[in-house]
Amino acid sequence: MTSATADRGDGMWLAPSPVGRRSRRVVTVLGIVFLLSIWLDAAGSTLPSFFLPAPLRFFTQVAELFPKASLDAIEWRARGWRCDTGQFDELDVRPLFPIRRDDKENQFSRAMHFYHGDPSVLEALDQYITDAHNRLNPDERVGGVMLLSLRIPIPPMGEPGPRERWQPISDYPSTVTRRHWWMPPEDLRKRRCQDVR
Amino acid sequence: MKRAGGASLRPAPGAILTVLGDWLNAPQRIERLALLRVFVPASVLGFLSSRIIHADYWLGSRGFRVPDLGGDWRQPLYIPALPDWAAWAIGGAMILSGLCLVVGLAARPAALVFAILVAYGTLADRLEAFTVTKLAPVLTLALFFSPCGARYGVDAWLAARRDPSVPRVTHVLGGSIRFFQCFLVTMYSASGIAKARGDWLSKQVLWTHLHDAYQTQASWLLMRALPTWSWWLFQGLVLVFECGAPFWFALPWTRTPALVVGIGMHAMIGLMFGPVVWFALLMGSMLFASFVPDAPLLRIRRMLGMRD
Repeated sequence: MTSATADRGDGMWLAPSPVGRRSRRVVTVLGIVFLLSIWLDAAGSTLPSFFLPAPLRFFTQVAELFPKASLDAIEWRARGWRCDTGQFDELDVRPLFPIRRDDKENQFSRAMHFYHGDPSVLEALDQYITDAHNRLNPDERVGGVMLLSLRIPIPPMGEPGPRERWQPISDYPSTVTRRHWWMPPEDLRKRRCQDVR
Repeated sequence: MKRAGGASLRPAPGAILTVLGDWLNAPQRIERLALLRVFVPASVLGFLSSRIIHADYWLGSRGFRVPDLGGDWRQPLYIPALPDWAAWAIGGAMILSGLCLVVGLAARPAALVFAILVAYGTLADRLEAFTVTKLAPVLTLALFFSPCGARYGVDAWLAARRDPSVPRVTHVLGGSIRFFQCFLVTMYSASGIAKARGDWLSKQVLWTHLHDAYQTQASWLLMRALPTWSWWLFQGLVLVFECGAPFWFALPWTRTPALVVGIGMHAMIGLMFGPVVWFALLMGSMLFASFVPDAPLLRIRRMLGMRD
């Protein structure tokens, strides 16, 4: 379908349309529904949810880009309960989530961002991190992970502060608020540690 | 409906539809469609590259999967993990179909396959679904419904070799280009409204988003170099550009200035927000292909040594 079929007499060679007239109308209507759904969703309307099933509506929820100011910069972290010492130490989970491991587009940050209030997801995350960490570090096994957020104050305008970089929890000053979202139950931690002995 | 003299007098809604139909179907330079065919899948592939190289973590069984939440609003569809070999196969097929579309080899089938695979990846892992991957299926479907391989690609080259006497296509029916134009205007307008409903009219938003893991060396340097008032200026400019997009792009005398502001905005986003660079490239290239005037478009073509 690459040859020009329509010389309009003005040196204009028009590519033939790969779809018929009736199909073009259907596609045009679908395109209008898509664009209207994007616009209505961003405008705060719930109308698209009445005529689009959730998996299709998902593809129209695209235009709400950075609408709110950040109150703080959020870092999501994990502390593992060491089987040998019986204490919580920070785990660097970045190797366990290799997709964009150094920014907030990795699966750990995204899971915590969306589901930090959902125990069923946090429990699954605890299980995944525990298993993956123990596989990679058989000499430093953990029985579970505590999941937490750090709220790092944003400096006032005109005072940008140091360049953003990953640093251990212990290096943050006390002005950085720590909040715990998941603590694996003690019996679960002990059972996991006993399972490998 | 007839006039006394016998001339047809259409009712107003019909006349509006005729005008809209004429606008929709007005022929457009095929270079626009070729640019879209190259840059849309290339930007999406750029975004996906960091996921595809870890396909076993992304779609396979090696990475973290959010459990089935049974209709939770944050999980539009639960899709279980694939065996790792299947995850790698899908990643490979995404690269292959995306590249075929870029070079115009079996362009329309490639667009369809690419759209389906990216839609699957977007639904399969909600954690790695972003604006780029949510938009990609529809944008590439729009290419599928167009003669996107008719020029400047392998399909066109093979056709010309088969029959050199056939003239080269210069234009396409406007519908597909109009879709991209309307999409951009809708996207900007919707985004501007969401910003106005959010904090953009009352708080400094840009500054606050430059202090997390999206921060780049460029954004850090700009934060140190630019005066405080300039952030309010940028914020106001973005808001006015986005909320007013339907007017800026509808009026002929504001269209080119709006194009320049839009390209500048996407360049700044790409420079200052780390991984958002692929979204900036996607939007910026679509904006250029859709709205650049014919004269510079043809000048670029001449500079590249191409001819009708």
